[in-house]
Order: sequence, then structure tokens, then C-alpha cells
Amino acid sequence: MSEVAKEERKKRRTLVLRPSSRTINISVSGIHGVHQSTRDTNGFICPSRKSFSLGGGSKVLEKSALQTPRQVVRVIDEEDNDVTPQPLYQADPAAAQAKASRFFLDEISAGSASDQTTATGSFSRPFSRSIFGSSRISSQSTIESLNEEIEDTFSKRDLPINFPDVPGKRDTVKEHVTEDMLREVTDVYISETDSMSLLDIPSTFVSVDADDAEAIMERNHQYAELCRNRMADDKYVDRSVQTLNGAAKNKHVQSDSILMVDSATTVTTWDMYDTLTCPEQWEEPGSQVPGRSEGPEAGLDPSRGAERSVSVGSTASSASAASSLKEVEAFGSALTAESDQQRIMQSDRFHHCLLVMERSLLGNTFQPKLAAYRQLPVTQDPDCVMKPGMVEQREQEAQSPPSPAVECLWAFSCELSRGRSVSSMAWNKKNPDLLAVGYGEFGSSNQKPGLVCCWSLKNPTWPERAIQCGSAVTSLDFSSNNPSQLAVGMQDGCIDIYNVKSPESKACVLSSSDCPNRHLDPVWQLRWTQQELSLTGEEEVESLFSVAADGRISEWFICGSGLDCIDLMELKKTQPAKKKAGGTKTESVLSALTPGLCFDFHPTDSSVYLVGTWEGLIHKCCCSNNQQFVDTYRKHFCPVNCIIWSPLSPDVFLSCSSDWTIQLWKQDLHRPVLTFSSAQAAVCDIKWSPKWATVFGAVNEGQLEIWDLNFSLLEPVIVQPAAGTVKMTTLLFALQADCVLVGDSDGHVAVYQLQNPQVGEGSQVDLLEAIIRSAAPRQL
Amino acid sequence: MAGIEYGEVEETLKRIEAHKGVIGTIVVNAEGIPIRTTLDNSTTIQYAGLFRQLTMMARSTVREIDPQNDLIFLRLRSKKHEILVAPDNDFLLIVIQNPCE
Repeated sequence: MSEVAKEERKKRRTLVLRPSSRTINISVSGIHGVHQSTRDTNGFICPSRKSFSLGGGSKVLEKSALQTPRQVVRVIDEEDNDVTPQPLYQADPAAAQAKASRFFLDEISAGSASDQTTATGSFSRPFSRSIFGSSRISSQSTIESLNEEIEDTFSKRDLPINFPDVPGKRDTVKEHVTEDMLREVTDVYISETDSMSLLDIPSTFVSVDADDAEAIMERNHQYAELCRNRMADDKYVDRSVQTLNGAAKNKHVQSDSILMVDSATTVTTWDMYDTLTCPEQWEEPGSQVPGRSEGPEAGLDPSRGAERSVSVGSTASSASAASSLKEVEAFGSALTAESDQQRIMQSDRFHHCLLVMERSLLGNTFQPKLAAYRQLPVTQDPDCVMKPGMVEQREQEAQSPPSPAVECLWAFSCELSRGRSVSSMAWNKKNPDLLAVGYGEFGSSNQKPGLVCCWSLKNPTWPERAIQCGSAVTSLDFSSNNPSQLAVGMQDGCIDIYNVKSPESKACVLSSSDCPNRHLDPVWQLRWTQQELSLTGEEEVESLFSVAADGRISEWFICGSGLDCIDLMELKKTQPAKKKAGGTKTESVLSALTPGLCFDFHPTDSSVYLVGTWEGLIHKCCCSNNQQFVDTYRKHFCPVNCIIWSPLSPDVFLSCSSDWTIQLWKQDLHRPVLTFSSAQAAVCDIKWSPKWATVFGAVNEGQLEIWDLNFSLLEPVIVQPAAGTVKMTTLLFALQADCVLVGDSDGHVAVYQLQNPQVGEGSQVDLLEAIIRSAAPRQL
Repeated sequence: MAGIEYGEVEETLKRIEAHKGVIGTIVVNAEGIPIRTTLDNSTTIQYAGLFRQLTMMARSTVREIDPQNDLIFLRLRSKKHEILVAPDNDFLLIVIQNPCE
């Protein structure tokens, strides 16, 4: 009650402030009157917004009134119950005020123009209707008619009714959804709700057997009676009532158009698998990369589809083939491309990819050669254009009977190695495709630091590893226990052990440079050998043995961070002319030891080994006896360059020397069984073939010779002269192929394939035995 | 891995580019933008775009058959030359070689 009174008081206040016209006055009083009446009738809703309620007499409202604090309108009915309807809409008061004020000013002008008495409801009604959609309309017909009139004016006016934003979308504070929250496993429990009764119309049928059936039946009877008598009765009069139809009003509502985005994905098996197995590595969603490539260079790509950038995760349809070019920006995109480039170039995987790529490329180029090496049938490239010269050559080859020859397949060489002389080569024990080559010039004035290159068969153009060494490399060997360990012996007597597994480590793992017992002269040969019983008593321990120019044969083992050695043997000079130890002054000046140039362990009994010396003597020694030689073989009168046991035939070994000869020995005989000499040059290297017992290869400076004892004892089967002025220095047989590797003084390691060797089946061991037996009696 | 030097990678790339029979080399980043190439602009972009799609299709095929599998190398032999593609999540390495030379 007090609220309404307050309202009225306000109205009076406003009246005072504003110069009121007569019409207004009337209206105001009218308002009052109406208001009073409405109060009584109370069919009317006043919107609770204060401005609107005041707007009942809105003509007189002014801004000041609007700014009054909000009053709540309460509707009280006859019984003084508060039937104030709750608003359907709670608008932002500030916004509402601003906009409402505008409205009202307009309205006022409209109202004054129309010059009509207004009812309280009229002005607010359009408002209320528009806001609330539909509101209860008072049943007062007078108000109705007035309303209709006002409506017309309003519709004619076409007022820009700016309602404050109906919060159709409430600005609820969005809870910030974090990643963690998304990842949380939430349990959703689904349970049955209680039954909600939406409509319950109890039936009006009553069973005949019910308790109060009697009473009901009685009543029904009475009612039927009444109905029948109704016609003539004065008590009941027919009367019609018409329900008034509410005036319908059309209303348009406009909302912001909802943005629709088409999204599609192709579900693939692996997509599901990926999401299942690694949910934290979700691919970026296939949504568009906005605007990246909106402006490719003009004319570069005419076809623009609506294609979005697809991540690797989803597939692009073939239809969008051309449009994907849209994604590609011109080279002008500087920064991102730069950083990308850096990142990519330094990534591990890129490096690996490059490796694979290089090998594939080389595989393409070298395919025939590698196939020949691996003894696979060489396929002709069908699209390869045959040069005319080659055709003739092939014809010739087909015609002539095959004779043993070597064909050069390829040569390992690169810029690093060019110009250096190959001093030693060794196959990796575990991976037969890896070859270690040591380069070093010795005897020449320019002491270039040595180089060790690890070549892979798959890449003949660039070594897998290139290690710079302290001084010229004289020997190397791979370990069998640790296949990635490579021992390198150098000209200054140092022995370094490198680990070639990882590409980064260029420094040696172990070095003997700090060892006090180290060799002071070039280490001519190194060998890793497994001893049955090593010094420490463990079985199958591998030890490194070396023979050096200072006349010592040493066994090396790891001591602390370096190597330490134990002398296995000292090569004392055994020339009878000289006195033994402790002699004249001349003796003490000269070293009592003679340089050892080569050695080899017996293939089966690794405690026995042979040493070749500078004097030309070959000593047989035993690991357990480090004072005396077991045996001595004399024949050479020049330094023995290489000694090698036959891998297939026991007790047979070969030796070659600078006296231009190669000698074949049997262990028990003190005289060589056979002597071979073909060229007048020092034989640098000699090797048995791993496959045939009667075949061995030798290099002297000018040529490569392959001997087959079965074929001829006087001449090599195959002779391959060196190219140009290059000197051949080392030789190595390939283990699983009929190939021979020859190193020369220019840094090339040429791979020759033995063609048509004309060796019989089997390893020919018996043949060799036979030859030796037939030759042996001659020597004894 | 920090151990791989930029210089070494650069060297290897140069070796590949200078290899006998290699017509061109293209390195494409994850978005399909060529970041290094020895061919001309339009050809590069064409190759990059086309091969990116082909690689994605190839990878999809391989993984569709067995999701634990993945594509590591793709070689396309045509009449005139051979195109080798080394795909990866972050990049694409394309080399065009004429093996008959």
C-alpha cells in the first residue's frame, strides 16, 4: 500500500516540477482515477520496472523521475494478498534507463501529439508486450479500446523501440575450462528419476461397487431431473456468454544469425588408433589455418578451392588436389620459414633422412656394381640408354671365352683421402659392410696428420666416419668383442682406441700416449685376439697385441684411463756375427732389438704366433714364453713385410718380403715349401683368399697379382697393373664376395671383382695339401 | 640432438645436391612451404604441393592396413626419372634423380 502511495506522491512531485498542460493534467487525473480503479480491480499487471510503472503517466515523466531509485511495484488484490507478478525479464538497470529515457521522450511527443487520455496500461503495454511477449490484459473494455487507439498511433509512429538488450543469452560467467578439466575423467551416473506426473485428470467414473456409489447415483439422478425440468422452470435462464478474443498482435523478433561452419573428417583406422594410444599427442584439429595463405603471389595459383589446411591427421580429398597449392606461400614468408629451416635442419630425423636418401641415391647409381659385389644377378635398367660403345663391348665379351680377370667395380675415395697413401685396411668383425682404412705417408718429409676413414659399402663416395689422428696411421684393427672399437697404431708409436659407433665422438676413447712403456717407433701391426687364458685368468678375453719398430711385441690392456702394456717378446737380433748382450761399446749404442714388421696369430691356437723382422727372419713364438723363440725360419734376406697363416689349411703360412719373393712355409719345415716371384719389386702385402685354399693375392708396388697354386706355381693367374704412377700398397680380401680391395698411394681403395676364377668346387684344402706334399720332398 | 652440427647437415645436403644424376632437391616444412630448393620457384611449389598430398595418402594407406606401421620412404619411378621422398611429421625431403646418367 505504501508503495502505491509513494508512487502517487512521486507523480505529484513530478507534476510540480514540470509545467503541465491541461491535457496532461487531465491525463494525470485520469491516470489517477484509472489507477485507482485498476488498483481495485487488479486485473492489471504493472511491470515491476520502475520506469515503466511510472510511465503509466509517462507523459509527465522526465529524466529525473527515471533516475529515482527503483521502486518495486506491488499489486495487491482485494484480500490484500500480494499477487505481484514476478518479472520475466530483469534488465540491466543502467542500460534500461538510458534507452528507456529515449523511448519515453519519444513517447511523450507521440502521446502529446495524439492528445488522448491515456490509461495506465497503454504506454506500458506495448512495452510489456514486446518484452514479455504476452501479458495479461485487463478485462476492462475501456482500457482495451484506448489501448487499441494508442497502438495504432504507435504503429504509425514506428518508433524505434530500442529495448535494452534482452539477455536472451545471459551473460553467465563462463567457467574457464582448463585442459586439466577436460582431461579429467568424470563419472556420469545415469539413474532413473522419479515419476513426474504431467497430467493427472482423475476420472469421473466411479465404480458401481464403490462406497459412495449410492450417493453419487442419487446426485446424478437429481441432476438429470433438474435438467429435464429446466426448460419450464423460471429459476434457470439461458444466457450466452462470449469470450472475448484477445487482440492478436504480430511480433517479429530478430536474432543474430548463427554462424555455421562445416566440419568434416575422414575417420581412418589409424586415426582411431592414434587417439586411443596416445591421447596426449592429439593432432591439431583439422580446423583451418586462418588466413595464412590468403595472399599467395598473384598468378601463382589460380585455382582456389575452399580447402582448409589439413593436418597430417586427416586426409585431403582428391578433388582438392589443386587447391592445396593455395596453402603454399611464396618464399617471401621470411621469419617462420627461417626458424623452421633451422629447426628442421638440426633435427635428428632430418639427419637420418638425409642419410637414407643419400644411400638410396647412391644405390641407384651403383646398383649394378653393388649387385655384382653381392653376387646378385645384375639387372639391366630397361630405360637406360645404351651407349654404342658399350654394345660392342658386350658382344665381344660374349664371344670370347671367359678368362680369369679382375674387374674394377668402384673405388672408395673422397676429397679427404685424396693424396694420402693407404697404409692399412680392416673389415669390421660384426658388420661385413664396414671397412676401416688408415691413411698415412711415412718415410716422406711432410708429416701429414693421419686419417682414419670408416667406409660403408653403401656409400662409396663419402666415408661414414672420418677421424683425424695424431700422426700417420700405420695399422688398424677392429675388435671382435666390441665391434665398434677400432684400434689405431700410428707412426709415433701411439696406439689409440676409437669408438666409431657414434658420429659425434671424434676423440679417441683410449690412448697409449701416456703410458710409459709405450712404443716409441711406428706400430707396424695391431691385432685383437682372443686368448683362451688371459693374464687375469678370465676366458675369452680379448687383448690387443702390437708389434712395433722398437722390437717389442706387447699386449695391451686398459689401465685406468689409458692403456698399459706388457711386453710379450723382445725381438733380439740373432745374427750370429754379432755378440749377444753385454758386449762392446758398439753393441750398447745400437739397439739390441730388431724392428718387427708383422705378426700373425695362429688361427686355431692363439697362443702361437709368428713374427717377421727387419732382418728377414721369421720367428715362431709362444705367448707363455717371452724369452725365447720357439722356432726360427730363415729364408728372406730383406725385411719381411707380411706373414699370414692360411685360414683353411692348418700349419701353412705365407710370407712376403722386400726381396721380391713370396715364400710358402709349413710350420714344421724350416725351409719354405714353395717360392714365388714374378715381378722385380718388393712385395708389400699378401693375403690368403678366405674361400679357396689355393688362392692368394699379393701386391707389389706396380701390380696386383692373384695366384692360384692349382693353376700355376710359377705365374700368377691374374695380374692387374696399377693405374698410372699410383703405387698399390695394401690388399684385403672381401669376406663374402669374390672381391679384392686394393689400397694405393693416392688414397683410393679400389674394389676388384674376381671374374672367372676357374677354381673348382670346395675349398681346395686337399689340393693345397697335395701340392705341398709334392713340393716338400724337394726342399728337404 | 645437439651433437649434430648444422654444418654437417648442410654438407650432407650439398653432397646430395651435387650427386651424379640428381636433378633437384627440395626440403618442405610442415605446412607445405618449401624452405630449401635447387629448382625454380614454380616447379618447387608444384612438387611440394603434389608430393605432400601423395605422401599423406601413402602414409594413410600404410597405416590403414596396420596402425602400428608407418611410412618411412617413398620412391616413385617414372619413365624419365626417379623421385625419392623421405617423409616426416615436420618436413618432407624430395629428391629427383635421373639414374641413367
